[in-house]
Amino acid sequence: MELKKSQIDYIIADLNRRGLVYQPLQEELADHVCTTVEEKMEEGMRFMEAYRATLTLFGHEGDIEDIQQQTFYNTSSNKLAMINNYLKISYRNLVKQRFYSLINIAGLSIGLCCTILIALFVADELSYDRHHEKAGRIYRVATHLRFGGNDSHLAVCPAPFAEALMSEIPEVEVATRFRNWGTFLVKREAENFNENRVIWADPQVFRVFTIPLLSGDTGTVLTEPNTMAVSESVARKFFGEEDPLNQTLILNNHMNYKITGVYRNIPKNSHFHFDILLAMTGLDQSMDQLWLSNNFHTYFVMRPDADPEEVEGKINEMFISHAGPQVQDIMGKTYEQLMSEGVKAEMYLQALPDIHLKSDIDEEFEANGDIRYVYLFTAIALFILILAIVNFMNLATARSADRAREVGIRKVLGSLRSYIVRQFLTESVLVTAISILLAIVLTSTILPYFNRLAGKSIVMPFWDPVFWGFILVSGLLVGFLAGIYPAFFLSSFKPVTILQGKLSKGSRSSLLRSVLVVFQFSISIILIIGTAAVYNQLNFIQNKKLGFNKDQVIILEDTYVLGNQINAFRDELVRDPRILSGTVSSFLPVTNSARSNTTFWKEADKTLENSVNMQRWNVDHDYMKTMGLELVIGRFFSHEFPSDSGAVVLNERAAKQFGFDDPVGEEIYTFKFHPDNSVKEDEYERFRIVGVVKDFHFESIRENIGALSMMLSPSTGRISFKFDASEVSQVINLIQTQWKNMAPGEPLNYTFLDEDFGRMYQAEKKTGQLFSVFAVLAVIIASLGLFALAAFMAEQRTKEIGVRKVMGATMGNIMFLLSKDFGKLVIIAFLISVPVAWYGIRAWLQGFAYKDIPGVILYMGAGLVALVLAWLTVSYQSYRAASANPAQSLRDE
Amino acid sequence: MHQSLIYYFLMQQTELIKGTLQTIILKLLSDHSRMYGYEITQKVREMSGGELVLTEGALYPTLHKLVAEGYLSTETENIGKRVRKYYKLTSHGNTTAVNKVDEFVDFVRVMSQILQINPQTS
Repeated sequence: MELKKSQIDYIIADLNRRGLVYQPLQEELADHVCTTVEEKMEEGMRFMEAYRATLTLFGHEGDIEDIQQQTFYNTSSNKLAMINNYLKISYRNLVKQRFYSLINIAGLSIGLCCTILIALFVADELSYDRHHEKAGRIYRVATHLRFGGNDSHLAVCPAPFAEALMSEIPEVEVATRFRNWGTFLVKREAENFNENRVIWADPQVFRVFTIPLLSGDTGTVLTEPNTMAVSESVARKFFGEEDPLNQTLILNNHMNYKITGVYRNIPKNSHFHFDILLAMTGLDQSMDQLWLSNNFHTYFVMRPDADPEEVEGKINEMFISHAGPQVQDIMGKTYEQLMSEGVKAEMYLQALPDIHLKSDIDEEFEANGDIRYVYLFTAIALFILILAIVNFMNLATARSADRAREVGIRKVLGSLRSYIVRQFLTESVLVTAISILLAIVLTSTILPYFNRLAGKSIVMPFWDPVFWGFILVSGLLVGFLAGIYPAFFLSSFKPVTILQGKLSKGSRSSLLRSVLVVFQFSISIILIIGTAAVYNQLNFIQNKKLGFNKDQVIILEDTYVLGNQINAFRDELVRDPRILSGTVSSFLPVTNSARSNTTFWKEADKTLENSVNMQRWNVDHDYMKTMGLELVIGRFFSHEFPSDSGAVVLNERAAKQFGFDDPVGEEIYTFKFHPDNSVKEDEYERFRIVGVVKDFHFESIRENIGALSMMLSPSTGRISFKFDASEVSQVINLIQTQWKNMAPGEPLNYTFLDEDFGRMYQAEKKTGQLFSVFAVLAVIIASLGLFALAAFMAEQRTKEIGVRKVMGATMGNIMFLLSKDFGKLVIIAFLISVPVAWYGIRAWLQGFAYKDIPGVILYMGAGLVALVLAWLTVSYQSYRAASANPAQSLRDE
Repeated sequence: MHQSLIYYFLMQQTELIKGTLQTIILKLLSDHSRMYGYEITQKVREMSGGELVLTEGALYPTLHKLVAEGYLSTETENIGKRVRKYYKLTSHGNTTAVNKVDEFVDFVRVMSQILQINPQTS
């Protein structure tokens, strides 16, 4: 039974509707279906019934498309030709739409550049201390102390700790100690150099850490007293090309140390960078059996199968078993009794790879990084990248009207949807590829500046396959992310609607596009507010009344080399009218100077209620005058009172903690320290309070001001001079001449107090700078997008503008018309970003004990900046549109 | 006797069956001067006593592939109200057909030995 012409036409049309568009297959399958239908009709079915049965055999649309797809794949012999075709069309489109392509590429390159920079930064931060072979098993023992109401976390342990770890805890493979003693003067023959990366170390240091020895014997290095191991660079500095092994260096002019090992320089990404390791056996203090004094950095390697928590427990038990009896001896109380009174001494473990980013406790070797900044910058990088992607999506969909006709024609000519999708994806991947290349060039160019800003020395890891993997993956990801929405949006158009010209209206008022613009501006405003808040706080710190005068004070370092001439040196210089006063003391109100913490009692009764844990600073008579401290009551130390050697000056905080109503004349007690650092239960030192000074910020403003006491006692590490500001260079000359006279051959190192003070807030300053850079970049990217979007909108409305002008609209009217939509979006963005920024700022300021909470003006200012920027961006385009001659735009109509 | 149907489906074919599909088509076309798609499915069903069902999804992609690789050529003919596409072997396809059948016979022989199947006595 033969089908009628109308039935055959029906089948062909229906198959077409079901997605059969590949021409070589069309007729053939139609024939196949027709024949099957004919056969079924011969068996007695009616036409529709037979057709349906046949389709069921095929499995409806899905399978028809599969057949088509498979056939197409099997026959398209040259896949490269297809890709080539995609690329060619993409290239033509890019060139045709130069303006938009340029904006897309510029935005994406900047975004990617930020991402690469931050990725490098983060990778560097995360790489710290991972170069040690046993990195995953190395732990540092830290101490948490609570005493006299003060909590402190220390990176140090008692001297006998490491030894006990090895002998008493089976899970410990090997342990090593460091003892920090500040800077040393080092010389070979005559000229002294100031070396600040010197440390006492146990020989086990080479077994715990991976520090490769270049020469010397691993078995014997650092085992003998008066021997040292030095880094490559120090060896070169002192000995040049000579063999440094078994040579001698002189420390602080009197200690002769023989070099028994040279090790490879410790990598940059390490939480310590020692240049000279001194054999611990030469240090008497290292033999101490005192469990109550914490001075030694202690690291150990744990056995692979051990459980860190369990080991931590055992370590604490071990500590109590040793420290308990000694507590009993000194305090006359058991360890448990003290614990019940609120005293606490607890050990905890810090995994080596965590130290750089997660540890910020007392006695760190160097200023560590901060995991929160790593998170923050990662988030910023992602946001900036998203901004750039959003630009791409926005422009692509905005221009959909232009591309829609292309899509319509392609579809009518039989293109499959998947090919249109692929075409758009190719375009976005191509744009991304170009942007990546530009971004890499850009990154390499600005990396040195970034390094300076971030205090890093990162190099582009061009040889690293991981880097290229990252670039490739992120490039493809960005390309797809940016392209996928436009691709599906555009390819979904129905040819009929497009070719009727119905689409352009819909694309003009896209809700999504508004949402994206709002998103972009929210992020920009958040970053602007964030930057302003950081600078606000920095400004607050700089101008805060500190309780001491940081200006016009010069500090000379390592003045102990002057020996007993130190006071003569000071007095000689103070005689000059340009130098107002001078004080000899290592203790200064900036971090990195000397600190010493001791417990005092109100009476000779060692109860906890009577005790105050406070700083004990050794100063001289001129300390207050030079530092500009303010006296509250009583007097400072004076030459008129010889008995002042037993006097003490407190700060307000300390006086309050002791609870004295009238502190002057009261007495406080502390343990008498013997030269070997030991104390006895019944030996006290007694001090009479002669005065109280106003609290001053001797630590960072992040912290509350603690209790502090000052005693008349020699402390010869530093001399500070207050000088006349107008004569800085003469003052320095003067000091240098005098120094050469009295300390020939010694290096003179000096700093200024205000600079040291500024250095304490380096991290905040860096954050502020990085923040402002990223804020600027985010604003640039967002503005670029807005600029292009405005251009497009103006173009779309050319005719409308033309008609309005003909009807008498002024330039101002039209500019307002074009800008007001964007203005609205910026205001919405502002409303969204304020709470987010407020929350973020609050969290950041939580780290400061003293802070300036930004007021409304700061937020409004940031919003205004964004609004003005957006308006400027849009106004250029709207001005162009508004000033165009309407005759031009209406001529074609 | 248990009767099992073997379907030639699209995609899910193993390499083995894919290969045999080409052999079947080539062999059929070497025995008949020209055939169209539907005819091939019917022929296979008939020859296998209904045990082998060739789906369109397997057949047409394979036919087009063989054309693209130069084993088959096509000719279209107007049959009344519609067009029909016939496939025939090229000379290159002819030799391949013979080779493929030989190859398959060898393969079955070897496999029978390995798997210890005696086709005659089943």
